[in-house]
Amino acid sequence: MNWELHDVAIIGGGMMGRSIATTVAREGLNVCLKEVSMEAVTASREEMERSLSHEIARFGLTESEKKAILSRIRWVTQFDCTAECDLAIEAIQEDFELKSKILVELDRRMAREHPIVINTSTLSITELAAKTTQPERILGMHFLYPVTTTRVVEVVRGQVTNDKAFDRALDFARLLGKVPIKVFEMPGFVTTRVVLPLVNEAMHVVMEGVAEAPEVDLALKLGFDFRTGPLEWADRVGLDRVLNWMKHMHHESGEPRFRPCPLLKRLVRAGLLGAKTGQGFFKYDENRRRLDRLKDDRPGLT
Amino acid sequence: MKILVLNSGSSSVKFQVIETDLERIENAQDLTLAVGQIEKIGMSDSRLVISVPGKKPYQTYREVLEHRAAINWAMRTLTDPEVGVLKDVHEIEAVGHRMVHGGEAFASSVLITPDVVHQIEECSVLAPLHNPPNLRGYFAANSALPEVPHVAVFDTAFHQTMPAHSFLYGLPFRLYKKHHIRKYGFHGTSHRYVAFRASQVLNRDLKDLQLITIHLGNGASVAAIDHGKSIDTSMGFTPLEGLLMGTRTGDMDPAIIPWLMAMEELTLHQVNTMMNKHSGLYGVSGVSPDMREIEEARASGHERADIAFKMFSYRIRKYIGAYAASLGGVDAVVFTGGIGEHSTEVRRLALENMAWMGLILDTERNEANQGGEGFVSTEESPVKALVVPTNEERTIARDVVRVLNGVMPTFEPPDSIS
Repeated sequence: MNWELHDVAIIGGGMMGRSIATTVAREGLNVCLKEVSMEAVTASREEMERSLSHEIARFGLTESEKKAILSRIRWVTQFDCTAECDLAIEAIQEDFELKSKILVELDRRMAREHPIVINTSTLSITELAAKTTQPERILGMHFLYPVTTTRVVEVVRGQVTNDKAFDRALDFARLLGKVPIKVFEMPGFVTTRVVLPLVNEAMHVVMEGVAEAPEVDLALKLGFDFRTGPLEWADRVGLDRVLNWMKHMHHESGEPRFRPCPLLKRLVRAGLLGAKTGQGFFKYDENRRRLDRLKDDRPGLT
Repeated sequence: MKILVLNSGSSSVKFQVIETDLERIENAQDLTLAVGQIEKIGMSDSRLVISVPGKKPYQTYREVLEHRAAINWAMRTLTDPEVGVLKDVHEIEAVGHRMVHGGEAFASSVLITPDVVHQIEECSVLAPLHNPPNLRGYFAANSALPEVPHVAVFDTAFHQTMPAHSFLYGLPFRLYKKHHIRKYGFHGTSHRYVAFRASQVLNRDLKDLQLITIHLGNGASVAAIDHGKSIDTSMGFTPLEGLLMGTRTGDMDPAIIPWLMAMEELTLHQVNTMMNKHSGLYGVSGVSPDMREIEEARASGHERADIAFKMFSYRIRKYIGAYAASLGGVDAVVFTGGIGEHSTEVRRLALENMAWMGLILDTERNEANQGGEGFVSTEESPVKALVVPTNEERTIARDVVRVLNGVMPTFEPPDSIS
């Protein structure tokens, strides 16, 4: 690496922003994490402490590492700190208008040539970058949840992204211990584009009554060595987010394979959004542990 | 000659200036002129501490982002008229570097050349957390002091004398050839130093002695030293094997690992951290990885601290028995490292009722020794037990002298297998 990378700005302290912040701070970089209000800061910080404690219980982290991680994160409600940052990532909800406002704020404050990263799975990097004065330093990085353990990140080149910004993003991904997959801008890139029809199809199978949801999930999990089945995966991502992606992909591509399954729509309308609400396709406790696993859906040694 | 000794970790650099030469080594008259440490490299509040005999210890803070800046800071401090010990950096005539892993490539301390650097890089796959920062320290020091010789001293080199029947694991042989899976052993500089020093205390030639050396610090290991050569040691492919340690499991049935990974759905990272950072004294007791706190908790009736303490001591005892058999006789058992030097109770549990092998613990001497060189066995005991404070930096400085004078011994493997 032939550039200085010590301070990273992260905009948005939601699930994705927190997860990225944890990973960045864990690698010894300083993070400035921006939220909209002091209340949001407090909530975000509490959530982060909770998930770090959970990781300690899973042996992945120690108490002193947790302390070190938290000590490297500065929580703010203003954009000021971004002026001193070597790289910025926005990680707010998938909303074009909100994201473009943030990009303008970052573009105004950050030193020339410091990359600005959009964390998106479906929005157009090129269209968002066009709102700024230096669109060539803007690119996408699609982190997959949970960021701390998922080893892949899609690094997305927009129409005018230059090599310098792109290479820095590749360095950044490597520094976080991730494998960067280089992609050109196209809705859904690789991972989202391929996984959504799979998830959609699994939902159709359930809706048509071909098999019960737990059995559909287990068949795919065991059949293709997935860590989680596609329905549980959707539950954990949040069914509202999955629906949002599908609508967007459907709108962008016009392909019927992205037309959201009516069952998905019904669950979202009912407020059954998955692990975060305690129920989606399956039931979960307050620690997001699934409660209704089949007897055969247990780890085994064979 | 004045030698700078460096031990470079990922976020710290420990440094010492030691005055020694062949004559001083022979008479144990090496002089430590300065001891220092830089912590939190890569942060804005890096700390440097230095203590020079006869001066008040000094500490200071500043932002140090990488090893080159850290080494330069150490140099400036060492030559500072107020707190330092040198008039000029050119007083340093050579630099000794601690290197963790030398694999099978290094059976001795060596002068660092580009070829040696390349070979150390190749060993990094075996010690990904240690060798790269060790090398970063070398590159930084070499650019600050390009004219003087730099010597690499490996933790593993001393144990290269182990025979194949002790260093091989019972795995398919091709895995040894393909991935270099074997026992390497660690703490080599410490075991070597205390073995040599013990021979001086016993007034015998090291080549006439059969010794069991026990290094008990944050990491802990035992070595069987037969006439000056390591023939077995408790740490293995990594420093995880062997004794129970502060946060490491030591020996356990390897089948537990896949079993736990499946049942608890742990990732590779989680299971690795579990064995290295969540286990040992800390994991069993739930109290602390620090032996002093374990002893306090135990004294106040903490049941699991007591069990952890007994496990720790029992494993040492078990290895003493095993290595006594490996060696076919023992002249002395040597304790070193923070716990080995200071915990009278660990030594007592490890050594009491060993008259069957000719070792009679002197409980009074043992109680009286709270650190510092001396015997803890009785006057009549045929097998001696003693405490020898370790000094790895001194061994490194001495090896620099030995390499530069062409008298560095090689810890040649007894046999090579095809």
